[in-house]
Amino acid sequence: MKNKLKALRAERNWSQAELGAKLDVSRQSVNAIEAGRYDPSLPLAFKIARLFQQSIEDIFEYEPHLDGMV
Amino acid sequence: MTNEQATRRYFMIFVPSMIAYAAGLLSTQWGAVHMGLQPTALYALAAVPIAAILSIFWAHWRFIKEIDEFLRMIQIKAILFAMSCVMVAASGWGTLEILADAPKFKVFWLLPMFWVSFAASAVFLTKRDGGGFR
Repeated sequence: MKNKLKALRAERNWSQAELGAKLDVSRQSVNAIEAGRYDPSLPLAFKIARLFQQSIEDIFEYEPHLDGMV
Repeated sequence: MTNEQATRRYFMIFVPSMIAYAAGLLSTQWGAVHMGLQPTALYALAAVPIAAILSIFWAHWRFIKEIDEFLRMIQIKAILFAMSCVMVAASGWGTLEILADAPKFKVFWLLPMFWVSFAASAVFLTKRDGGGFR
């Protein structure tokens, strides 16, 4: 799943660790989500959307051809 | 709970349990070799390292529940890999023992094998998926 997390974080001059602290997750989790290596759970996606005051669809873009990749 | 707090809670159980494990193991062996203890006494002494192993697995279970979802996924993948290594080694060698008269393998070594393969897999997955340890 593609996402705009890195751009949104950069706009606010937050480090990955700072964003992780705001979301109650590790820096590694933020890194993995930004790089598209990990798709967050629905509760975490909501948390991210609320933090940036956007909808989930505005931040995450579903790519069916990548679904199920590990 | 933060990941740091969960890690601290894990090591607060892990470290004393490992000390109890090593002490229990050594004293059971000492009791058998140097004191000639009866099997009942040896079984009682061996309960110490067995309890330590149980407490380490319980602490790991709690740790996995307390960390964030991405780190939890890494832990579960690493455990699955380690379990696969242990099962392949145990049943593979067991098959060789039955069919090809291979030398006996001490099942004691399955636990160290589990932890070594778990650690290697967790390090690999953390570096690959999480961008390192920083």
